[in-house]
Amino acid sequence: MNPSPIAREYLEKGRSVACPIIDMHGHIGPFYGAYLPSAPLDRMLRSLERCGVQRIVCSHHVAISYDVERGNALIQDVIDAHPDKFLGYWVINPNYPDIIEKDLRTFDQRRGFVGIKFWPDYHLVPVTSPKYAPALEYANEHDLLVMVHTWGESPFDAPGLVGQIAQRYPKARFLMAHCGHGEWETAVSIARDLPNIYLDLTSVPNPHDFTLMPGGSLMPRAPVGGAQVNGIIEYMVETAGSKKVVFGSDLPWYSQHYHAGAILFARITDEARHDILHRNAERLLGRHLDVTR
Amino acid sequence: MRFFDCTCGFGPYRTQVFRFARTAAELLEEMDFCGIDQVLVYHTAQRFDMPAVGNDLLLKEVDGHSRLIPTWTILPSQTGEQPSLERLLSAMNEYGVRALRLFPEDHRYFLDDITWGDQMAVYMERRIPLFIKTSLDKIGNLLRAFPDLVVVTGTQGSNPLDRYAWPLIEKYPNLHLETAGYLVDGIIEAFCQRYGAGRLIFSSGFPDHANGAALLMLAQADISENERQAIAGDNLSRLLAEAILE
Repeated sequence: MNPSPIAREYLEKGRSVACPIIDMHGHIGPFYGAYLPSAPLDRMLRSLERCGVQRIVCSHHVAISYDVERGNALIQDVIDAHPDKFLGYWVINPNYPDIIEKDLRTFDQRRGFVGIKFWPDYHLVPVTSPKYAPALEYANEHDLLVMVHTWGESPFDAPGLVGQIAQRYPKARFLMAHCGHGEWETAVSIARDLPNIYLDLTSVPNPHDFTLMPGGSLMPRAPVGGAQVNGIIEYMVETAGSKKVVFGSDLPWYSQHYHAGAILFARITDEARHDILHRNAERLLGRHLDVTR
Repeated sequence: MRFFDCTCGFGPYRTQVFRFARTAAELLEEMDFCGIDQVLVYHTAQRFDMPAVGNDLLLKEVDGHSRLIPTWTILPSQTGEQPSLERLLSAMNEYGVRALRLFPEDHRYFLDDITWGDQMAVYMERRIPLFIKTSLDKIGNLLRAFPDLVVVTGTQGSNPLDRYAWPLIEKYPNLHLETAGYLVDGIIEAFCQRYGAGRLIFSSGFPDHANGAALLMLAQADISENERQAIAGDNLSRLLAEAILE
């Protein structure tokens, strides 16, 4: 049996006082393409409580899906109402440069936002496009986190493309959401080699075969996915180091217990589990974790 | 709690898999690490070699390991690549194989009454559970022709599948979902509230899925202990017991 006391504690109680979770990848609100029973805020708060998640960093589905201005305003309300639970990523839609320019002028007046969020596969603009440059320059100047949706072999956000912008903007800290799912070795080697890139485990424990989705992926080009993902967390820790891997769940999409289970039953040390589940996030979020600010 | 895992594979792969079980002994070690009591198992040869070869190999590999319960893979009958239905059922009875697996995408066939008319009517009558790895529209197509088939599916790929799955669950009483890829937050609770716990079957999905993920999600789902035990193992035990092989 798994000898980890942390794993045992999660198995018995669902949470751990000594090794809590900070979730670096969540969303707010329902999503048009899926039934998400935990989308109502009260249910999301309950999920955080049941899994012992101290804080979650979110972007709003409305901002990603179609209305970036309204979505970013909606998440501000959630952060203001629950500053001890929620932090935010400000969604950048590269198709609307006038909105980006306006938003960046006032970004430092916002409360509870730790960085910006790109979803290039969805907005159909490669992350290396000059359309992202104003936001990336701002992130570089202000030491922000940049959460980028990544997927293997995507022409918009494959891990190699994120590696290019991370070298161009060395003071910004990049989180590769989904670890370039399926293109694991590229993603992990880039995270190993570049000090400002981190691997976000959101969706990684699930193999993601989009060819089995009757309605497709909602993206113009069906993404590839890793067919067998068991052992990938061990590979990341051995290759890039446990200090380069962070916990993410996509809540209210995916269960935090599901994601935690993959980490707790990976063949890694409890020190590595502490790094992934909360310590790395504490370091990345720093002053933002102080709710009295 | 007793975990009886309905989908777990072992054997070699052609692509890189970071950690898998090459042998039955290695699979047992994985099960022990996660606290899984029993597994309804397949060998990769049943998926990536001729099923008849894989079925034989599986029996040899699990021989002497009572915690590893074998399942066989089947093909359409028309190409003559598997024994006659009568011989297949007789062999299943002889070797204690009480469930079958289908991999339509890997083995390239239609999942319809034209292809399966001769076999599915018998499996339906005998309540032999079929574990089918394909998309839900194809499952729905099969069930339209054979509405009482006992089918277990659910590792459907990626995004939440309930708008596809729940209408089928309501229409076909013997359709079940396995939990390896059923990872939407709160979905086990929502499903149990609407349909009860009898239609969900625990699976680790090892090594396609990361081991431990589905297990912790079920262990901590906000459902009753009776519902949890049903999903963890009792439902699968019941399905296997109901299969008529004699």
